[in-house]
Amino acid sequence: MAVAVARSRRGLKRIVVGRPGGAARGRGARRFAPGLLVVGVPLLIALAGPLFAGDAGPRGTSLTTGAGHPLGTDFTGRDVFREVLLGGRSVVTVALAATALTYAVALPVGFVCALTRRAWLEEVLMRPLDVLLAVPSLLVVLLVATAVQPGPARLATVVALVGIPDAARIVRAAGAEAASRPAVEALRMQGEGWVRLALGYVGRAVARPLAADIGVRLTGAVYLVATAAFLGVGVAPDAADWAVMVDRNRTGLSVQPWATVVPALLIVALTMGGNLLVDAALARPHRPEKNR
Amino acid sequence: MSATGHRVARRLLLGGAQTAAVVLLVFAATEALPGDAAVALAGDQPDPARIEAVRAAMHLDRPPLERLLVWTAGLLHGDLGVSLTSGRPVAAALADGFGPTLLLAVPTVLLLVPAGIGLGVLAARREGGAVDRVVSAVLLSLYAVPEFALGALLVTVFALRLGWFPPTAVGYGTELASHPAALVLPVLALLARPVCSLARLVRAGMLDSLASPYVAQARRCGLSRTRVRYAHALPNALAPAAQQLARTVDWLLCGVVVVEALFVVPGLGTVLMNAVAERDLPTVQGLAVVFGLVTVLLNLGADLVTHRLAPRTEVAA
Amino acid sequence: MTPVHAAAQDPVAVIEGLRVEIGGRLVLDGVGLSLRPGRITALTGGSGSGKTTVGLALLGEYPDGSRVTGTVRVPQGLIGYVPQHPAAVLNPARRIGALLRDIARGRVRHLPRSRRRAAARERVLDALDRVRLPADGRLLRRFPHQLSGGQQQRVALAQVLLLGARVVVADEPTTGQDPLTKRGVVDLLADVARQGIAVLLLSHDTGVVRALADEVVVLRDGRVRDAGPAAASGRAPLGGAGRGDAVLDVRSLVARHGRTPVLDRVSLTVGAGECLAVAGRSGSGKTTLARCLSGLHPRHAGEVRLVGQPLPPGLRDRSRSQVAGVQHVFQDAKAAFDEYRPVADQVARTAVRLRGAAPAVARREALALLSALGLPAEKAARLPAHLSGGELQRAALARAALARPRVLVCDEITSGLDPVARDAVLGLLGGLLRSGRVEALVLITHDLGTAALADRIAVMEDGRVVESGAAGRVLGAPEHAFTRELVVAEETFGVPGD
Repeated sequence: MAVAVARSRRGLKRIVVGRPGGAARGRGARRFAPGLLVVGVPLLIALAGPLFAGDAGPRGTSLTTGAGHPLGTDFTGRDVFREVLLGGRSVVTVALAATALTYAVALPVGFVCALTRRAWLEEVLMRPLDVLLAVPSLLVVLLVATAVQPGPARLATVVALVGIPDAARIVRAAGAEAASRPAVEALRMQGEGWVRLALGYVGRAVARPLAADIGVRLTGAVYLVATAAFLGVGVAPDAADWAVMVDRNRTGLSVQPWATVVPALLIVALTMGGNLLVDAALARPHRPEKNR
Repeated sequence: MSATGHRVARRLLLGGAQTAAVVLLVFAATEALPGDAAVALAGDQPDPARIEAVRAAMHLDRPPLERLLVWTAGLLHGDLGVSLTSGRPVAAALADGFGPTLLLAVPTVLLLVPAGIGLGVLAARREGGAVDRVVSAVLLSLYAVPEFALGALLVTVFALRLGWFPPTAVGYGTELASHPAALVLPVLALLARPVCSLARLVRAGMLDSLASPYVAQARRCGLSRTRVRYAHALPNALAPAAQQLARTVDWLLCGVVVVEALFVVPGLGTVLMNAVAERDLPTVQGLAVVFGLVTVLLNLGADLVTHRLAPRTEVAA
Repeated sequence: MTPVHAAAQDPVAVIEGLRVEIGGRLVLDGVGLSLRPGRITALTGGSGSGKTTVGLALLGEYPDGSRVTGTVRVPQGLIGYVPQHPAAVLNPARRIGALLRDIARGRVRHLPRSRRRAAARERVLDALDRVRLPADGRLLRRFPHQLSGGQQQRVALAQVLLLGARVVVADEPTTGQDPLTKRGVVDLLADVARQGIAVLLLSHDTGVVRALADEVVVLRDGRVRDAGPAAASGRAPLGGAGRGDAVLDVRSLVARHGRTPVLDRVSLTVGAGECLAVAGRSGSGKTTLARCLSGLHPRHAGEVRLVGQPLPPGLRDRSRSQVAGVQHVFQDAKAAFDEYRPVADQVARTAVRLRGAAPAVARREALALLSALGLPAEKAARLPAHLSGGELQRAALARAALARPRVLVCDEITSGLDPVARDAVLGLLGGLLRSGRVEALVLITHDLGTAALADRIAVMEDGRVVESGAAGRVLGAPEHAFTRELVVAEETFGVPGD
């Protein structure tokens, strides 16, 4: 806001205001563009890559560049380009499955807690989850990995379990906030039933915050699945997986950087872009006016 | 004061329950082993002698409840059991790994709070300005990136291309403390996520606070810009950040494991990963209990700090 | 002509030709006024008339994205601001002492460093004394949330006094307050003016304006209308004197919030065709009483009978006809509607759920009732966000009345409305009662002016009914000490409609 201040003779401040203040901020679908752009490449490779990977050629020398391999060879002499095409699918699918599973549990639990009038039911459902929140997530994954050798399905289950306490708390908080609004009491005064209240009103009111939380949780799951794979949990030691590639090929980083750098960049882009998307979805389209 | 006392007591009780839950969960991992736990744990060399050794070391011939009691009683005396692979007490293995991990953790924590708050305040000084846009974009981008991927890229650029820092801690062994250059990249990789999350919260809190009626009133009262920003807005912005600090503890523990693996630092994370690879359950259990306890304690601390910063929460609670 | 007198008459702040436009919408157009030392200028007008924009213009604050032209002349130094909600302008993380010292420190800079601390403290204690707060250390060590609303209001005023401001803007300082609290604020503002400070009072409370203002400027749609106090619109009494037989009978109702008792053996009756007002300060248990009647506060003891039949305490145990029998209208009309569904659809559901009407029939009935209440079909077809507070409150009345209730419980339904909208809603309420759409009314209010329109008044204090009787008798010859206090406080402003 432009404010011109001039002193008048009587010691009064004279303020003349001319130009419009404030600036319109970028809004609408355009704010999703950067996130989509960054996440698009790794996501496309992860989902469509395996279709174009073709057959495995003969193994070459370990960790070389060039010689018919656009990105060189990896620590076992395989073509890095082909491995890159194949290596995103596991991270993405396991993370998606884990997030779906998390919400399959957290949604009903959180919703029941938010809407029940029986205090004991809420205690029984939420207290154990509160307690679980204290356990570091990677620790749970590693603990399970020691006891049982997990495959992708088990890894998805463990990652899902790790996310449940937090997700249930968020569902409950959003639901309880919506359920405490006068609109719900007004609906009850109209004789509306539980289903219409829970799904028709509360469900609709929490849809937006929960959609954003699913996004947050998905990036979190990608992080945890990739990190577990890097540490060798839930994947074969020579699996075609971006995280495993980073782990296995980094010994040859000085001679063949592509085998490490390309998958690392793809993981960075996947998490970064996902995060940018979530942030764009969370951003309020416009700020409420400060003054009446 | 009694309300605060009540709150502290309740928080301590929850902390106690969380500790018990960690212990139980860790113990339950043994029970989850399919079939004969001793055979499963003996791993790649399942000769009868080793199976017998495992069985004896973990008292697998006793009923589970008795084992739980014995193990818990041991924990209370600081006895974490005996490693299945080396036969050494777990506590000794932990003591070895403690030093290097501390070398990573101390600078990280010392840098985390000032860097997080500083970046957050810097971005919030002028919302939508050039500084804010650049800082916010970086914070947002780095915040979900796994440490190993970021670390690998850092090594490629700063160690291999530019040659500023050593790529790993290999070769420094116990002398790590006297080679601070080797710690720069690991600490950076470890810091990225928590700093970003902290700074984002401080920024959001500052913006909310700066737009609040009480800050508007403070400005109307003619207080200086600096005083409004740091004495009036910042304390309110720190409350959510303090709560987040507790959560970043979880990230730091994950991060320590990953960063130690990536940079080959012989700390607790490496001890843990070796134990996982060799299915050395007593060592994993011991570490899990230690990590769990640290988390519970730090959560407790953060909760009390939050309460001090946002005294109003006692009414809501 | 003495110079002193001339100075007193000179305005300290002047607004001329102020024009504010936000996104093409004209908020203020050619507004002008002047403030003089020691005088209170009231700026009145309904909500949306632009009062707050004028007040903030004096402070040099304008809404985001606004285009402003005109002249605002203010004295050098700072302008004080007393907000509607004092809790919002007191920093929750700082103690009262710190909040006041911050300002005092700025006023003692001219002193040598060594004497500043003591001087600042002296000023703080002096300011507390002037707003009649105890000038001891205990208050200074408290956080704002530990003070009562009245104390917070005083602290906000103490800040203004510490500033040494020559002009103070008070923004709706009495809205939603009971007569006693209102009285306290009015006295404080009169004190401030007596100290030679020019006060701009933004208020739509005609009683307060009449009691305080030396000059009145009326604002409508962003333009200055004729000066002079806003004429009190004539208000018809609600109800038509009860016909005797009790519709609602409440006996020794006891309720608590957690461990705090809120209602203590409350008994009352409401007859057919009668309107009962329940009056009292905030925190006296009025709202809890209303919620007990409607079944929204199920954990209570005692008996509530509807035409002789005992009502179960909670909504979920009440039959459909019992739910329809006692309907509730909420204070915050905006929050009481689903933001995603058109208003008419929501109103019609009452007839479907509570009377088993077919959807098409229910819709027709809803639209007819809505238009009878002044909401034409094209307006009722919109989402709640597109209706004003007064319009939504009418829709809420229609929603409840469609149940054909025996008792309609109205919980402070006019306290968020400006006088024009309030009188319209009260008028409609009377119409519903007289036409027999609603058999009896229970009107919860802190405003004695509204209560005066009822047939009978029950006065509540600390969860008990301390006095009840015919409205004229209770207000004209109050028996209980508390009622007398309320009535005296209200008389300062003159009961509108008398």
